[in-house]
Amino acid sequence: MKNWIKIVSPYLYVLPALAMVTIFLLWPALDTGFISFTSYNLLTPPRFIGISNYIRLFEDPFILNSFLNTLWWTILTIILSVGLGLLFAVGVNRLKFAGFFKFVFYIPLTLSAVVIGVLWVWIYQSNGLVNTILNEIGLGGWSQTWLLNVPINTFCMIIAWVWATAGQNMVLFLIGLQTLPTEVIEAADLDGANAWQRFWHVTFPLLTPMTTVAVTMSLINSLNQFNIIYVMTGGGPYRSSETLAVSMYRESFTMMKFGYGAAIAVVLTIIVFVTSWIYMRHNFKRERDVY
Amino acid sequence: MSIRMSFKKISKILLYAFFITIALLWLLPIGSSILLSFKTINDYMNQTFWQLPTKFNFVANIEYAWNSANIGTFILNSIVYATVGAIVAIIIASLAAFSIVRLKLKGRNSLFGLIFIGTMFPFQMFLIPLYIMYLSTGLYNTKIGLILFYIAICIPFATFVFRGFFISVPKELHEAAKLDGCSDLGVYAKIFMPMSLPAISVVFLFQFTWVWNDLLFGMTLSTSNSVRPVMVGLAQLSGENLTNVPGLIAGAWIASLPTIIVFILLRRYFSQGLVLHVAG
Repeated sequence: MKNWIKIVSPYLYVLPALAMVTIFLLWPALDTGFISFTSYNLLTPPRFIGISNYIRLFEDPFILNSFLNTLWWTILTIILSVGLGLLFAVGVNRLKFAGFFKFVFYIPLTLSAVVIGVLWVWIYQSNGLVNTILNEIGLGGWSQTWLLNVPINTFCMIIAWVWATAGQNMVLFLIGLQTLPTEVIEAADLDGANAWQRFWHVTFPLLTPMTTVAVTMSLINSLNQFNIIYVMTGGGPYRSSETLAVSMYRESFTMMKFGYGAAIAVVLTIIVFVTSWIYMRHNFKRERDVY
Repeated sequence: MSIRMSFKKISKILLYAFFITIALLWLLPIGSSILLSFKTINDYMNQTFWQLPTKFNFVANIEYAWNSANIGTFILNSIVYATVGAIVAIIIASLAAFSIVRLKLKGRNSLFGLIFIGTMFPFQMFLIPLYIMYLSTGLYNTKIGLILFYIAICIPFATFVFRGFFISVPKELHEAAKLDGCSDLGVYAKIFMPMSLPAISVVFLFQFTWVWNDLLFGMTLSTSNSVRPVMVGLAQLSGENLTNVPGLIAGAWIASLPTIIVFILLRRYFSQGLVLHVAG
């Protein structure tokens, strides 16, 4: 009897965690997979329709547009947010008051995507910051209703997102820089390498692990981009600025096409898994080649 | 030599000019929106953004946001969700991690994998079944329903952090305590948890912030103002196309205050946790 308790009791420690995760995360994820093969509107029981949702998805011009927007979000956030983060991290330590500059880039990290959205809606308003500044410097002709014009509204939101996340990448690269062997950089300096050569041939390759981390994070976050779009444009006008995550929400909870929404969720998941897997595999291979 | 010196000097000046410009650009949305939250609607309509308000309207704006726009209720809801969610998740996850690392458990790696896989999916994968389940069980639009979900979503990352932390605790400590007659649960409560302040801080910082900032699940699983969390309330308000923009911006800033405070208090755990977050 005593022995039996001894064997079972370790599992009791794990049970609450496992139960919570299974009920609220794992089972729903599996169930979404099943629902994606049905036609379901909550009012009548789900009807199995095979892969019809998936076929429709590839022919749906709105979904194609969402996919392209998701692609823009991903590519531009990686280039701009990770790029600026790297630039901030490398540049800021050469300045006096480095702490002040770090603080400035760090502030947006404490704000939620919804708050960032609210602030930037006001910035892009017809009488907002951007138009006021453009008028002031004599470029009033450029002023417009930024969030209503396609495709510029997507790029405006991407800029807001870069503002919000560059600091996070800066923090990652600052950690990476701390672990760099200073001797290597000094050696390159003695060999007569200029600042750019030192950066491009020594610092940047040594930062590869952190670059992988930062790019993976940006990749996953922008593929799943939802909050800021929901707040700033709601995916509009005429569904022009939706990403896949926004389309999924709209098809499911506005149009009540749960089967179709589930299919979008599954496709989004496959995209996230495949791209992050390819990227990480490629990078770990490259890291092995370097050392 | 002197050419090189002056070249260095010029590049230094350019570097400063560049970073000062960028820093000003970064501060502009924050500074101008804080200024706006001090203005009356009239000042907002008639002034440019850098002008100082003719009348300090800060208190009235906060009052508007807190009462008329209901942000107060939303904030109080979210304080409960974020605190309870993070703390209960810390307890459940640390128990699981303790057992996975220290107790002789068959299949511990697959158990950990099962718990951890929960964070890998895009959130869209959970929404529809949760919504249906909540409607059919009566959890929909209840505070307890939201709390349960927030606990669950916090568990995978928390288990990951505690597992990493517990692995670094020397085995001998556990064995010595057991020789002294301490039970496993006693070892967990008296030795492991008091040592885990760094792990607890990392998890609290990230999970409190996550729950506080959540829009998607709060919006999907609740519908009335008395239940909805703060970011849903704020998004709702900003979608209403209202005239009181200073009030809205003031509301956005008070809704950010709790996470700003948590960030300031636990700031040294941030970079640590950030790396863990991606590593996981």
